[in-house]
Amino acid sequence: MKYALLSLAFLLLAVGLSLILRRASMKARGAQTDTAPTSTAWRGTVRIAGVNEGAVLIASAALLVLTAVFDSLMIASNLFTYSESLISGIRVGLAPIEDFAYPVAMVILLPALWVFLRSQPAISVRLLLKHAFVVSRPVSWINTAFPFAAGYLMSTREVDWILVVGTLYYLVPYNLAMYGINDVFDYESDINNPRKGGLEGALLPPSYHQPMLWLCWWSNVPFLVILLAVGSPLSVLAFAISTFAVIAYSAPILRFKERPFLDSLTSSTHFVSPALVGMTVAGAQLDASVAVLLLSFFCWGIAAHAFGAVQDIGPDREAGIGSVATVVGARKTVVFSLVMWGVAGLLMLSTPWPGPLAAVLALPYLINCAPYLRVTDETAATTNAAWRRFIWLNYASGFLVTLLLILEWTTRSS
Amino acid sequence: MSHFAYLGALLVGMTSMLLIDYRFRLFFWRDAASAALVAVAGTVFLLLWDAAGIAGGIFIRGTSEAMLGIDIAPQMPLEEPFFLMFLVLCTMILYTGAEGVLRHYRERGDL
Repeated sequence: MKYALLSLAFLLLAVGLSLILRRASMKARGAQTDTAPTSTAWRGTVRIAGVNEGAVLIASAALLVLTAVFDSLMIASNLFTYSESLISGIRVGLAPIEDFAYPVAMVILLPALWVFLRSQPAISVRLLLKHAFVVSRPVSWINTAFPFAAGYLMSTREVDWILVVGTLYYLVPYNLAMYGINDVFDYESDINNPRKGGLEGALLPPSYHQPMLWLCWWSNVPFLVILLAVGSPLSVLAFAISTFAVIAYSAPILRFKERPFLDSLTSSTHFVSPALVGMTVAGAQLDASVAVLLLSFFCWGIAAHAFGAVQDIGPDREAGIGSVATVVGARKTVVFSLVMWGVAGLLMLSTPWPGPLAAVLALPYLINCAPYLRVTDETAATTNAAWRRFIWLNYASGFLVTLLLILEWTTRSS
Repeated sequence: MSHFAYLGALLVGMTSMLLIDYRFRLFFWRDAASAALVAVAGTVFLLLWDAAGIAGGIFIRGTSEAMLGIDIAPQMPLEEPFFLMFLVLCTMILYTGAEGVLRHYRERGDL
């Protein structure tokens, strides 16, 4: 009976989601009726704005027949089987009755989602996806996917499906959530920042704010469900920290990005926690040398964030946004960043071979940042040149870190 | 070659669905972005369902020679996500197709 219960649970989930989507479409249609003039164009849109129940019934009937036929064929061909003790034993042809829940759930859920997506008068799904791509900062995708993949792979030493699913998660949905929430709630200050609207950040029109948060939520939840299910208590804790940091950084009330030092700590957590999640999901032992390695990475992240905040001192102050840089001033923040990058390098010296080689990687960052020791709050914007170099410097460092990991891999396995 | 039979059949099935879609402008050829979101959402929903079933020990991978023998997860052959995508596509082509047929008859009745 276990399969029957599972099917019932997913069927109910589909029904629930479908009801929510239908309600939301009705609301969108209602809003349209209030504002749109009675024209043929308006009537044209209204016609596509409801789920066509007749069509659902026809599609259901066809799908049930197709399922009975093709499921039977697939089971007869031995493509898959079931644990006999877990199914009810009621069959249509060879198909267990529980299998019919799959097409039924689809025909309940998908037309509702389709109608919902097409009933939004103010937004185009094409533009939403385009914005989502820009908002997620494609040049930064690797910055979170790499720590996860490296942490996981160095622990399990084999490629498996959890590695693939987790890497995909940290490549796109995680970044979409992190930067999507940020861009929605930073809109007021971003419109005054000339730096936004390109490589370093997107400017999201207000009508796309709600749909973007919605997209962030639904692109993250399935991955979180899977990765939490396969994890240990320790990895669940790492996940909780990671997810909390992503939300707390820019979501209202918490707004850690506006709290000096907490902003740098949280931002660094964004990049270090994927590595921690990767290691803990893989069941790795977190010994002292791993802790020092993660701490070094953490210091690197703090330095990167603090230095990045210097260039935004002007626009941030104008918008009344606080950051480590607006509070302690440009020069002191640069000094703080240099110290943190230095500490990151020194920490690597105490890790086992070939870890100390990575200490050298701190040098380019120190050299890139050091010329701005004399920067003032007025000239803070000039650090943008170094920030642009920083983005590309990360690719070079990532390449060298990868070489070090390969070196570590070969020395450990031989 | 026989190892490719199941995946091949699924790909032919999906291509046929897309040809019907193209001919009658039903789904991807009506609103590609919305269709892509619906297709991804449906496939992910079914993958989660499968994963829960596998975790519960309900589903067991078959030993058919018609599969490539590549597993992307325990008890989940490479072909499974393609099957789920096919089911999603089939559902939406049937729904949008039925909607079009119903509209056609309603409009003809109005005349």
